[in-house]
Amino acid sequence: MLQSILVSFWRSFTRRPLYAALNLLGLSLGVAVFVTLSLLHRFETGYDSWTPEREKIYAAGIAFNIQGIAPGVRIGAMGGLLDEMKLDYPQVRGVRDWSGAAVIHRGATVSSEQIELVDADFLAFFQVPLVVGDRASALRDPAGLVLSETMARKYFGALDVIGRRLEISDIAGRNAYTVTAVIKDLPRNSNLKLDFVRLLTPRDVATTMGGWHAWGSVMLQTWFKFDDPAAVRALEAQLPAFVDRRVGKAFGDAVTPHEFLRLSFVPLKDVRLIDPKQRAAIEALRLVGWVALGLALINYVNLATARAGLRAREVAVRKALGGGAGVLRVQFLGEAALTIALAFLVGLAMVELLLPLINAAGGLSLGLDYRLDGAWVAGVFGVVLAAGLLAAIYPAFMLSAYQPAEVLASSRTPAGGRFGVRLREGLIVVQFAAVVAAFVLMLGFFGQVRHMQSVDFGFRRDGLYLVNATRGVGVTPQQRQAFWDAVQRIPGVTGVAASSDAPADQTIDSNSSATRLDRPTRPEASPTLSWTGIGPGYFQTLGTRLVAGRLLDLAHGGDETYVPKPDLETVTNAVISRAAVRQMSYASPEDALDKLVDFQNRKTRIVGVVEDMRFYSPTEKTPAKLYTFYGYPAYWPTGWPITLVRYSGLSEAEVRARLEAAWRQAAPDVPFEGKTALVNLDRYYKPQRDRTNLFSLGALVGAGIGCIGLYGLAAFNASRRTREIGVRKVLGATRVQVARLLVGQFLRPVAVACLVAWPLAYWLLRRWLAQFDDPVAVDPLVFVAGAAAAIAIGLLAVGGLAWSAASAEPGKALRHD
Amino acid sequence: MIELQSISRLYRSDEIETTALHGISLSIRRGEFAAVMGPSGCGKSTLLNILGAVDRPTSGQYLFEGVDLAKQSEGGLAQHRARHLGFIFQSFNLVDDLTIAENIELGLIYRKGRPGSRRALVEAAMDRVGIAHRARHFPHQLSGGQQQRAAIARAIVGEPDLILADEPTGNLDTENGAQVMDILKGLNAAGATIVMVTHSPSHADQASRRIDMLDGRLVASVAQAL
Repeated sequence: MLQSILVSFWRSFTRRPLYAALNLLGLSLGVAVFVTLSLLHRFETGYDSWTPEREKIYAAGIAFNIQGIAPGVRIGAMGGLLDEMKLDYPQVRGVRDWSGAAVIHRGATVSSEQIELVDADFLAFFQVPLVVGDRASALRDPAGLVLSETMARKYFGALDVIGRRLEISDIAGRNAYTVTAVIKDLPRNSNLKLDFVRLLTPRDVATTMGGWHAWGSVMLQTWFKFDDPAAVRALEAQLPAFVDRRVGKAFGDAVTPHEFLRLSFVPLKDVRLIDPKQRAAIEALRLVGWVALGLALINYVNLATARAGLRAREVAVRKALGGGAGVLRVQFLGEAALTIALAFLVGLAMVELLLPLINAAGGLSLGLDYRLDGAWVAGVFGVVLAAGLLAAIYPAFMLSAYQPAEVLASSRTPAGGRFGVRLREGLIVVQFAAVVAAFVLMLGFFGQVRHMQSVDFGFRRDGLYLVNATRGVGVTPQQRQAFWDAVQRIPGVTGVAASSDAPADQTIDSNSSATRLDRPTRPEASPTLSWTGIGPGYFQTLGTRLVAGRLLDLAHGGDETYVPKPDLETVTNAVISRAAVRQMSYASPEDALDKLVDFQNRKTRIVGVVEDMRFYSPTEKTPAKLYTFYGYPAYWPTGWPITLVRYSGLSEAEVRARLEAAWRQAAPDVPFEGKTALVNLDRYYKPQRDRTNLFSLGALVGAGIGCIGLYGLAAFNASRRTREIGVRKVLGATRVQVARLLVGQFLRPVAVACLVAWPLAYWLLRRWLAQFDDPVAVDPLVFVAGAAAAIAIGLLAVGGLAWSAASAEPGKALRHD
Repeated sequence: MIELQSISRLYRSDEIETTALHGISLSIRRGEFAAVMGPSGCGKSTLLNILGAVDRPTSGQYLFEGVDLAKQSEGGLAQHRARHLGFIFQSFNLVDDLTIAENIELGLIYRKGRPGSRRALVEAAMDRVGIAHRARHFPHQLSGGQQQRAAIARAIVGEPDLILADEPTGNLDTENGAQVMDILKGLNAAGATIVMVTHSPSHADQASRRIDMLDGRLVASVAQAL
């Protein structure tokens, strides 16, 4: 039996190479897409699999139920959460990870890194793998430093660096640390970024000036470990009461805190995809993988049933010689299994070849390590084989059901009956519907991506440079001022401004309730506004349009935020955004002018309204803003101001070089950091673009598979109809007429597919667009173009074939058997 | 060996009912070489299909060595064919994608519980019909006569009790036809039971018994001197 299967399988390649190649190519492409997108899914859902107790670890998360603040769980908590939890629930085990900026000093050279301030048992908690050192004791000493393999190599050129010293500036100032351990580099899909790690000390806590216990702030990550899932649920049930007890009156007298702030434990495995939109995107891509595999299997069924007619005689002979239907089914399923196995291997090879391309298109770092991933690959193979055999059942049963007496008596090749023909046409319809839908979606996605990048952001994106260095660790107000003065003098620079907020960047995400004082309002019903502190020339530098009133400046009294001794009657002037006008229910921008608002416990007067600015993700609602003014550089809190530089007539490299030179002059001991607004914003747009690219790649491969199927089927139909073509030509049909007939027949299912695909694609596109704050209108042209592309590809696939079939000499065609 | 009693076969398709066989009763003894003659559409091939257990009668009884084949399952009939029968067709029906040797081996692989080397049996069968030098060729590389000899080798490789030949010389020229008849006669002389459908009176004359059919009925069954 096995030998018989092997012989048939081998002969299908040597004797019918076109059929075998089409079959194999289609299946392999499907497998390649499926494996790649499964890899992506594994990568995204496998975050922190490196830690042995992943299932037991949870992150503290908070969600706000406040108008003006996006709903959804944020991963993180105030600094003091763990302390307060331990007071009420002594059994709780947890560690904290406070990420901050650090400057590493090596002689006169400085470089920026990220440093983690953690609790002493952090390494043991996560069972972080070490190259050298001891997990339990590495972070006992406040002067101890743990760094990653990569950082050890970068700064010391070696791994065995215990006892070596590094000078680091961070929140605690400039200090020398001694290396106590080196961490094995964690995989890229980890929520932890452990480049530099040191002990979190009371002195660090003191720098927050009481902010450590600010309920509602999201300052650092707090991780908990529970051995028993039931314990998590039990504790979670007590959290609302805990929040009420601990927050007390801090949110106001008439407020029940847990109604505004929900504390929760998020399983570590869910942390990465906590945003439902992200998870949906990843699941959608996995679905694309399944669809591609499905299309490939449809091809297989189509080609196998089409070929079945040619094998009918063989089946009849095998049956006449005593082969039972069961034996034949085993034979055909065996051949299918071999084909699928080979396609899997070819598909894997394609994945290996294409991964660099896919990684580039999708901004990913996917890879397969056969030593470590053997079980996973075997699992995927199992899935593909099972799906393949399921698909192969129909052709196998159809083939084994031929009645030998009928087949042997007839000189014609059976076509598999009306059912078989219908089935094949139906499958082609499904296949092409998927292709048309994919094309339509692809065009729709690109439309939105283009729209997002070309739409008015409320400010001028090009010619804008953001210098982050001004909020770097250890920068003094004098250095900042010297830098700003120097930048003003750079030829080509037309504006400089400081702010706590810049495109795709912010020093602090501060949201506070704003209570209108011009009419009676209950404070707890007040909407929330997002606050930004700005320096002189901020809106001018951005190119923001003033809608009503005036901007903030030094010439007007009361614009300055910093007041040495404010009292209840001190009034601060502010500018709000158009969205804030709506949020605060003013009739119009003009209506908002001169109105008084209680904001952050200060009387605030609205003196101007500016256009909304889109600084963040396109899927995020543009926040309602309230801007207050820091007129004097010295008043900026340390670590706050980002510098915005407007330039023209300079290239990006030129402006960077000049800014960097000015920075070196002003603050030689702090590394320069800066990028253009466009580059910075891109991190919100790149994921969308990357996924659109990945989707398009999947869609194009899917279309390729569809064409292979169409071509294969057309080839079989043409060869089956050779005699008919001969008869038609003898009766006077021209080559063009015959070709048109054939093409028309081939394309009929493609036309039906469009009708199926359009509503499906419309529905999917609308759903996808719904996630954006500013979705593009669905363009009917997209549907026409998607269908036209699919039909063009279909024509390409069958046109040549139809022409050559129609060109056969009638005499030859009639002799054909 | 074979007892047919009142065998009828009706074909029904949508609205037309065709009777291919009308209550045929026939017995064939071991060692007989029976030739079935008759015009096209008289039911010869249907009779052969029923004898070959690839078709079932609508009514009547078919006993093979005393076993009632009507009561056999599909699988049982398949094993019956593998164990007891050999088929030779007018259009050879060799599998295109298999070599001559592999085609002949098909006559063995579906037989359960048959120990020993298939290769030796295949080679012996090829020797008997003089086709051994073509073992590794594909059917389309052979002449019609060679293909039919390969088909005969396939039919006899399992040493069946009964060989069924459906116009085995129909697609061959005179010389090749004569060769095939010689092989069949040799097989019969060596003890094989053969039922052959033919249009050729001269080939029918070479059988030990001649059965004439018309419109689905037996009209004559005559023993012939050889």
